[in-house]
Amino acid sequence: MNPRHHALTGALLFLPAFLVIGGFIFFPVGYSTWLSLTNKHTIRPTYEFVGLQNYVELAADGDYWWSVWRGAIFAGGSIALQILLGLAAALLLHQPFRGRGLVRAVALFPYMLPTIVVILLWKWLLAATFGPVNYVLQAVGLIDAPVVWLGADWLMPTTILVAVWQFFPFVVISLLARLQTIDLQLYEAAAIDGAGVWGRFFHVTLPELRHVLFVIVLLRTFFMFTKFDVPWLMATGGGLQELVQNTPVYAFRMTFRFFQAGGGAAISVSLFLMLILLTIVYFRVYRREQEA
Amino acid sequence: MLRRLTLAGSLYLGAIALLAFCGLPLLWMLYSAFKPAGELFSYPPRVLGAYDLANFRKLLYETDFPVYLRNSVGIAAVTVAINIVISTLGAYSLTRYRFPGKELLANLTLFTYMFAPIMLIIPVYLLLTKLGLANTHLGIVLAYLSISLPFTLWLLRAFFQSLPIDLEHAAWVDGATRLQAVVHVVVPQALPGVIATSVFAFVVVWNDYLFARVLLNERYLLTMPVGLQDMYESTIVDWGLLMSGAVVVTIPAILFFLVVQRFLIEGWGMGAVKG
Repeated sequence: MNPRHHALTGALLFLPAFLVIGGFIFFPVGYSTWLSLTNKHTIRPTYEFVGLQNYVELAADGDYWWSVWRGAIFAGGSIALQILLGLAAALLLHQPFRGRGLVRAVALFPYMLPTIVVILLWKWLLAATFGPVNYVLQAVGLIDAPVVWLGADWLMPTTILVAVWQFFPFVVISLLARLQTIDLQLYEAAAIDGAGVWGRFFHVTLPELRHVLFVIVLLRTFFMFTKFDVPWLMATGGGLQELVQNTPVYAFRMTFRFFQAGGGAAISVSLFLMLILLTIVYFRVYRREQEA
Repeated sequence: MLRRLTLAGSLYLGAIALLAFCGLPLLWMLYSAFKPAGELFSYPPRVLGAYDLANFRKLLYETDFPVYLRNSVGIAAVTVAINIVISTLGAYSLTRYRFPGKELLANLTLFTYMFAPIMLIIPVYLLLTKLGLANTHLGIVLAYLSISLPFTLWLLRAFFQSLPIDLEHAAWVDGATRLQAVVHVVVPQALPGVIATSVFAFVVVWNDYLFARVLLNERYLLTMPVGLQDMYESTIVDWGLLMSGAVVVTIPAILFFLVVQRFLIEGWGMGAVKG
């Protein structure tokens, strides 16, 4: 077959995908970047180019920095706990024991649930009156009176808990796959050298999981810093939105509640830039550790 | 011997803790959905008490839930059908053809993971409004195509890469045309991957809250996540009713889970699972 003809066929087959990704992702992202340099109102059609004014305003906006801070707490806390819990669960589920299939299926299941179901279910579990969590904790004597888990004092921790519950199976899935490919001879060699359970974990398992953990942390970072639905839905109805307002939630409110599309676009672009920066730092640190 | 016993003991303790942490909330969902309203709020919970279908009856006959459900199923099905055709062609092209800029395109696809949904929804809302497609199902299908395509493309690319190309070559040597080779050799082998990918795409669309919230206003157009949230916000919270809705919505998730569990555990296309 004529190679040029061949290349053309290949390119044509890719064309529909190219049009969707170009037209509905890269073009909007470019448009969003442009909007962030304008004073576009969400509904009114006319607008003007204002340069970096939106960004200058953000830099002086206390609510913006607050949302960056709350977003960092939410993402940092939930990522750390997802990794720890996911690692523990994966190691457990990698061991052979009776009933493993059932435990594995149940443990992976929260990840398949729609976010709205997860949120409503946990709001009900944690409800101050008639909620089973308060009931159980009172019954075993851990608390004297029902705790308002969705109130101001506890909203951030419970939001993190809900996110961890929903997303730690992602870590389990990814790690289980890698655990299956570790060369068993490495463990035998370690055992001959006198390594115990912990020794084998720290000298064989963990080093073998390094690369996959690197990728998991990276992906979870993208997903948790850009998460909108969990913090938004956890706070609705309570009037406590500010407490778990991360940057995506702030961008949403700026655009669709205060109708400042330009300002909202600037917030979302700033989030993107922060993620890029974070990724660069992360790669640098990882590479340095590889060399050390 | 004692060491081995304690090890086995802690293993089972861990397994039970994990089972309780993930399973008890799910049991509570079922419990609430099938409890008559009068018994749901009794202290202590009456596990052995009565169960009935009153919540489901109310959900189906007295709320807009059936409308939301139908919208969700329709939108997800149409999106996935279009998506799979486009991404299968694209993934086949990326793994079997050579053309300039191919690697760049593949990498750009992965790069889209870095764009927050919130970064897309603002311009997509404005563009669809301009096109007169805001508040229509066509508009939201287009939007869902864009959020699901990069990762189905990436998944299928990984899958096609794992298929041995020798079989195709053998078919050509035997005189098959390229199209015949695709139909008789590639498609049968790729089918499990395509099915699993469809399931993942379906889940992404099925679960979305943000795009549906922004792009749809009319009650009769709403999808299930937005509809359920509105039900939660609009009335005095009826937990039994809401949990029955949650159960209905979870049924497809169970079916999907059974389909893709094998793929999940083999870890195929790691990082492809999204969310």
